This record gives sequence, C-alpha cells and structure tokens, in this order.
Amino acid sequence: MDLALKDVRRHAGKFVATIVGVGLLLTIVLVMNGIYQGNIYDGVWLIENTATDLWVVERGRGGPFNESSRMPGDAHESVVATPGVARASPYIAYAAQRTVGGTSQQFTIIGYDVFGGLGGPGRLVAGRAIQAAHSEMVADSRLGLALGERLRLGAREYTVVGLTRSAVDPAGNPLVYLSLPDAQDVLYEQDNFALVAARAASARRLERAGFGPAESARIAPLLAGSTETVNAVLVKLAPGTDLEATRRHIERWLHFTAYTTAEERELMLEGRLKKMSAVLGLFRGLLVLVSIVIMALILYVLTIEKIKPIATLKLIGAPNRVIVRMIMEQSLVLTVSSFGFAFLLLNLVRERFPRTLVVLPEETALTFAVMLAGGVLASLMAVWHALRTPPSLALGG
Amino acid sequence: MPVLEVENLSKTFGEGELAVRALREASFSVEAGELVALLGPSGSGKSTLLLCISLIQEPSSGRIAISGRDVWRDGPLGLDDRRFRRENIGFIFQGHNLIPFLTAEENIALARELNGASAREAALRAKELLGYLEIAKRAKSYPGSLSGGEQQRVAIGRALANEPPIIFADEPTASLDTERGMKVMAMLRRIAREKKSAVIAVTHDHRMVEGFDTAYEMNDGLLARRAAT
Repeated sequence: MDLALKDVRRHAGKFVATIVGVGLLLTIVLVMNGIYQGNIYDGVWLIENTATDLWVVERGRGGPFNESSRMPGDAHESVVATPGVARASPYIAYAAQRTVGGTSQQFTIIGYDVFGGLGGPGRLVAGRAIQAAHSEMVADSRLGLALGERLRLGAREYTVVGLTRSAVDPAGNPLVYLSLPDAQDVLYEQDNFALVAARAASARRLERAGFGPAESARIAPLLAGSTETVNAVLVKLAPGTDLEATRRHIERWLHFTAYTTAEERELMLEGRLKKMSAVLGLFRGLLVLVSIVIMALILYVLTIEKIKPIATLKLIGAPNRVIVRMIMEQSLVLTVSSFGFAFLLLNLVRERFPRTLVVLPEETALTFAVMLAGGVLASLMAVWHALRTPPSLALGG
Repeated sequence: MPVLEVENLSKTFGEGELAVRALREASFSVEAGELVALLGPSGSGKSTLLLCISLIQEPSSGRIAISGRDVWRDGPLGLDDRRFRRENIGFIFQGHNLIPFLTAEENIALARELNGASAREAALRAKELLGYLEIAKRAKSYPGSLSGGEQQRVAIGRALANEPPIIFADEPTASLDTERGMKVMAMLRRIAREKKSAVIAVTHDHRMVEGFDTAYEMNDGLLARRAAT
C-alpha cells in the first residue's frame, strides 16, 4: 500500500496548496536564474551582434560601452588607411529617455554610417534598413513602435522604417538605430535658449580674458563644442590580415586604443556586468538556500503531523522501510510537483517578463538536481525524527 | 498450552537510589480464547507490562513465551520485534489510533499487507472483517467521519487482520459511553470465543470487569490475580 500517495489523496487540498506555495518559491529561483543569464546575454548582445573585427576607441579608454570615448568625427578616415583594414565606420551610442506610446522609456540610440557602414541593425523582423541620410529609424519591437510610426527625438520626427527583435543595450533597453548625423543631431542639439546661454557664457570668458564686447560676440559662436565627434570606429579587416599588427599600427600611429570583439566582451563582463552578476548570483544562491530550508521545514512539519500514525505503524509492526518510503516519497512528490509547477509558470511569464530571461536547460536541470538533493536531505531530517519516535507514543489517549 | 506465559518479569527504570521498579516479578499465563482484564490505577505498571510483553520495552529480567516459544529470557533472543508484533499481537488503543488518511478498509488491509499479504488478499480480508464487525457499509469512510464506536470496531478489525494469538486492548472502552463500551466488550468476548485469540485488556473501568474470564490487579508494579467474576 502506498501510504504517501494515500496521504496525498486524502489531503489533496493541503498538498496542492503546499505545492503551489513551494512552486511559487521555485519559480522565483528559476526566474532569478533567467535574470542572471539574461543579464549576461543582454550585456554582451550588442557587442556580439555587431559585425566588426576591432573596436577602435579613444586612447586608454575602455569604451564605447564601459567608459565614455570621444573621437574626432573623421577618425575613421585615418583608420581605414591603416594596412590590413578593409572597412572602417564611425559609430556612436548613447542612452536616451523619451515618452514612447504614453510611457517614459529608456533606450539606446546607435548612430552609424547607413550607406554601407558597419554597426547597423542585423536581421530585421519587419520593414527595411535605413536608406535615407535623415529622418528614418529602425527600432526594436520592445519599444512598442509600429512600422510607419513617427517618434520625435529633439527637434525632428523620425519614421520607423524597420523593426528588430531583442536588439538590446547592455542594460537590456531596446535599441534605436539612426543615421550617424541624425544621432549626432539628437545628441548635441540644443534649443535656442540653451545656445544663447552658452554663447553668453563664452563671451563673458572672452571679455574676462581682455577681448572687447564686439570681438567676444563674434568669436563666441566659434567656441561651441564640436558635434562632429563619434564614440568608436568599427573596423573590418581584410582577409588574411594579422590582427595584432593592425592593432599595433592603430595604437602606435593613430593614438587610439583597439579592442577585439572578445576583448570588448571581456571588458563588459569584468566591468559593468561583474557586480550585477555577483549580486544576482548571491541572490540566486540565497534563494536556493531559502527554498531548501522552507522545503525542509514543510517536509518536517508534514512528518511531525503524522508522528502518532507513525508510532502506530511501528507498534503494529511496520518495518522502518515502510515509514522511510512514505516520508521520502512525499518529499519527492512535493519537490517534483513544485518544480513542475514552477517550470510551467516560468514558461507562462517568460515572454511577458520585463527583462530578458535566458533559461538554459542544463542550468534548469542542475537547479532541479539541487532542489531534489535538498528535498532528500530535508526528508532525512524528518526520517531521523520518525525513526526515533517510540512506538509507545501510540499508547494512551 | 497457554498462548502467553510470563514468568518473574521485572522492569526497573534508572539505577541506584533513583531506580523505579515499575514491574516486580510478574507471572501469569493466558490461554487461547481467554479474556483477561488488567486493572489498576495510573502508574501501577499496567502499560509497562504491556510494553514489555510486546517487546517495545526491554524487560530487566524474566521470561516471556508466546505459543510455547520463548521470545525473551533474561535478555533478547534475537527476534525482529516488529515482525514479532505483526505476527503475534493485535493492538486496540484507547484513542483508536487509526491512520487518518486511510479508509476503514485500508486501515485493516494495511496490517495484513505489512505481514506479507498481497493487496488483493489484504483487501478481501479487510472486507470480511468489516462484515464480521458489522460496519461493512463504512468500508470507504475515513476515520474522521466515523463515530467513536465505529472507529473502535475498525481498530478491532485491524487487530484481527493477521489472526494473532494475542490481542492487547489498552483502555478499549475509555473513550466510549457505557452503552458503546458494553458493545465493544461484547465484541471482544465474541472474538475471544470465535477467533480463539487471547484478549488482554488494560482498563480503569470497573463497569467492564464483569464478563472477563480472569482479572489481574496491579499496584506499584505488583501483579495479583483477582477473583473471577
């Protein structure tokens, strides 16, 4: 007679409630797994999905994603002249926050050479790539824009001509692709009041330096910061080129720093993602631990509730294996059902979750194994208590 | 041949000045089909005697034999105590102690299955006993939905499942009113007669003494035979 299943059948409501409770806890563990892997996935997505051999950035900087990098707008022209470089394209990337579809959303604007340059969107799920020098944009579908929709960024409106899926910046925010000049416009554009204030400040500095008012007013506009800067130059090497030699050349003669995609990825993993991954990893570990402790307590309480029947079983001659089997089987039923419930729930919420959840089968299997082992360990505590229960406990009122 | 022989059975808890002699050289025997009452106030040693005979507690000295075979002689004789109980003793408890998540039928079948019977055979035996105890219609009911008297009858069925030579009943009527208590006693008498099991009932209840074949009284660990009623 399967005592464990008989107990489950008799107290189905209690077991279902327990399974749902533990299952919700395990869902959080699985979601945390997904967030942890999703954080890494999002963190390096842009780097891994930008078809380039070298990321050339401002000298000594860890840019363009981990640290700011400002380079002259024509830097790509000197880079393309380097031996072994087949193509070099200017690249700009910066975060923006605007109201899109009625809600304030953060996204990253990527500016690239739309006429055959590197760094543009990869596969589009709808529409086409940017074909005009101005006023067109490709947006990720997470932003909620539809093809043909228009979005105001600064002084201009941009029309969505193409859509990507899951194109995100290292923080998991959607990407918006613009032509390089448009991206620079959006980044550096100032309204008239700001321009007047900046020029007045420059004129005051010039006057303090001894220039007359008329001269200061004439020179001040020329002192405005250049909007012709880029964050990086993306490089595609010619086949058979010695990457190290090209990199040395760029660093020595052009005074820039160049990273391979692998190095850029490493910069990201060791930089922005490191602490977040550590925190998420810590939370993940704590959650697993808390889940095991809660499961242990539940299993223990389920056994304690049955301590008199267990004593009765011992008194009427049930061997220990019958009692151990009952406890272990319930532990397995509880663990497996809760995990199944958690897995089901995870798959239900996965697509609607605000962050990318990356569920790796091997990691899910490992989590299951850990929870199963935890469940078995927890039930050993209950078994220990049950086996120590004297049969004489069944006697008396 | 007696089904149970107890000779000079003693049980002492603790040592030295703190030693408590819960059982002092108790000797008695019980024949098959005999209905024996074990009377005495709380703490007199009745339960200790029962636990010792069931090998739940180890006696300090003495001899116990079941159906002519020694199961204890001044020390253990290497018996598997659980198996010994399954095969030789049926228990009826004051609080019925039915397994709450098993139906009446399953409670009885479990005892049979634990003794090696197949599920089918155990279920058949359970049905038969439920019929014998006149509660066949409650076979699929859980203990929680049975009355005290019905629960006690299921407990009796469980005790009978393996046709043991001895049935221990620990205050079998304590939680029942007089009428139901009388019915249970009548049932125990019937079982003793028809099934030829020796029934040893621990009781405080002097109302129930009438009808027992033999009665023993315990006081401070000493067992004395009372005149039969």
